[in-house]
Amino acid sequence: MMKRSLTAIAVACALVVGVARADDPDPIARATATRLAVGVCGTCHGPRGISQQPKYPRLASQNANYLAAQLKAFRGQTRGDPDAIGYMWGMAGNLEDSTIDALAQYYASQPAIVGRHADAALVARGKSIYEQGLESGGVPACAACHGPDAHGVGDFPRLAGQHAQYVLKQLNSFQTNMRNVAVMHGVAQGLKSDEMSAVAAFLEAQP
Amino acid sequence: MTGHAGHTMTTLSRTLAGALIAVAFWAMAPTASAVPSFARQTGMACEACHTVWPELTHFGRMFKASGYVIDNLKQVKGVTPQRDEILELSSLPPLSLMVQVSGTQLSKPLPDSAVNAKSQNGTIAFPQQVSLFYAGKIAPHVGAFIQLTYGYDSGTIGIDNTDLRYADLAVLPDDQSLIYGLSLNNNPTIQDLWNSTPAFGFPYAASASAPGVPYGAQIDGARGQDVAGLSAYVFWNESLYGELGMYRSAKQGTTGPLDSTTAGGVLKGGAPYWRFAYEHNFGRHSIEAGVYGATFEIFPDLGAGFGQPLAGPADKYQDVAEDVQYQFVGDQHLVSFEATRIHESQTLNATFAAEASDSLHNDLTTLRAFGTYYYKRKIGGTVGYFSTTGSTDATFLANASGQPDTKGWIAEVNYLPWLNAKLSLQYVNYSKYSGLRSNYDGAGRNAGDNNTIYALVWLSY
Repeated sequence: MMKRSLTAIAVACALVVGVARADDPDPIARATATRLAVGVCGTCHGPRGISQQPKYPRLASQNANYLAAQLKAFRGQTRGDPDAIGYMWGMAGNLEDSTIDALAQYYASQPAIVGRHADAALVARGKSIYEQGLESGGVPACAACHGPDAHGVGDFPRLAGQHAQYVLKQLNSFQTNMRNVAVMHGVAQGLKSDEMSAVAAFLEAQP
Repeated sequence: MTGHAGHTMTTLSRTLAGALIAVAFWAMAPTASAVPSFARQTGMACEACHTVWPELTHFGRMFKASGYVIDNLKQVKGVTPQRDEILELSSLPPLSLMVQVSGTQLSKPLPDSAVNAKSQNGTIAFPQQVSLFYAGKIAPHVGAFIQLTYGYDSGTIGIDNTDLRYADLAVLPDDQSLIYGLSLNNNPTIQDLWNSTPAFGFPYAASASAPGVPYGAQIDGARGQDVAGLSAYVFWNESLYGELGMYRSAKQGTTGPLDSTTAGGVLKGGAPYWRFAYEHNFGRHSIEAGVYGATFEIFPDLGAGFGQPLAGPADKYQDVAEDVQYQFVGDQHLVSFEATRIHESQTLNATFAAEASDSLHNDLTTLRAFGTYYYKRKIGGTVGYFSTTGSTDATFLANASGQPDTKGWIAEVNYLPWLNAKLSLQYVNYSKYSGLRSNYDGAGRNAGDNNTIYALVWLSY
């Protein structure tokens, strides 16, 4: 009886360990991803995903699901904003699924930093739009999908600490449909240029 | 100055030295290049690696330091059972073609080379240059930039700038990067990552039929495609760069072994090369400051009948240079500034002993600074200043003033209808040439007569 119980415990442990391992990327894929992140991606996206150049998004602490989806969209050439075409279609063109998942995990596990603080009035206006939306433009609260702290929810990306210039450029790409995401196209259409700037400034200042 | 002038031999060597210098610098028209095969290999547009080609962005510098091997193409692979890569070939060879077509108009035509008359002005070069590149990955960690060039002036196809690299990456604690590698190349500074150094410095293209700056340091292009060098480099955290190397004579078009009849002189042993630089990137800005140099000991070529055996005294050229670069890379506006100052100390042991120089010790200093602006990588231009000054030595320099001083400015406007096509209009203005503003050749030619308008169509595909 005792022996049977121990066996059951051992099997249970093995299953738990097995499940835990299934969640982790393959060790070779993880090593490949780290080398790629440090030696290639980091040149633009910064060491450990904290880019200093506003042209390139910060990836540290980004939602892994979102990162993987974007890399697959680059690879499949379905994300069509200019920098995606010029840079990432090529960069992601030959990535295997296992490497994509490992890269996503790598960046998701890096600590985030707080971005630049902009003009307080602008940030306050952005906070209002982010949290409550704009009734006049039919713009829903960003927080509804991206979370009250802008850390992202489910497949929706983290926006906190992102370069304001990058957020602004993406909102413009959604508005013109160069980056073809129906939900965001609808949201961005209701935003004027100064309102986009306010939201972007608010997001960059968030921890 | 010493009292060697006045010998028959001096007159002869002056003529020969003058001819050699002229040949050396006329043949020195820049061949800086951008290579679409890199774009094909990476799948990235030119803008990833270049502000406007051939000037590199930070990513372009990292791509070069990494050995030209970043690729996003399907690979033909070979692996061992331990999963070690033993073959990685691109499914398409990384080939590119570059074509330059140009027109050159001098302020006044040059004298006829044989009779007392003027040469033709308005030189059309169709093509000025056609280059075939193999530029890209050739094996895991190994990449190549190989350029074969047909030049209208030589009428032949020859090896041009070549840089073969091995590079690897070490991931340091805290995920800092350390790139380390080797470069085997044929032009000192061709392997460099910044556009402030000679091989890939401005002007990126120049007329092959206009008189260029007649004197320059050894490291300033004089030994391009004339030597082979192996250097080892490290690039830490994408900011601190160090490189040490050694060059040796590696002549093309000359049957070996090299001896006293070899044209253009022969390096004595190896010429050590060194380079240290620091780069800092912040926001859309990038700044770099560095030093580089080399020491060449050369058994000189003093002309027919004066063959120097490859033993005994050799001329020593010690080059020490500083450089800076600044770049702002915006989506619409791109600004860059590059400058270098090269100082050369010359100890002319062999030349002086052969009475082909007035002094044993001379020096030469070159300063170049240029600023570039582009709007949306579409239209832009560069304004630059250049100056070469140095010791007075009429016998060695073989000119009327006895001075090398040549100064002026250069302006260029460019239009790029597509990222891989450039239409250029360049103007070069000389305030001093071979030491003088007027009558620099003793035959009435003024520095300003060499002012040049140069129109260029430059395609890369």
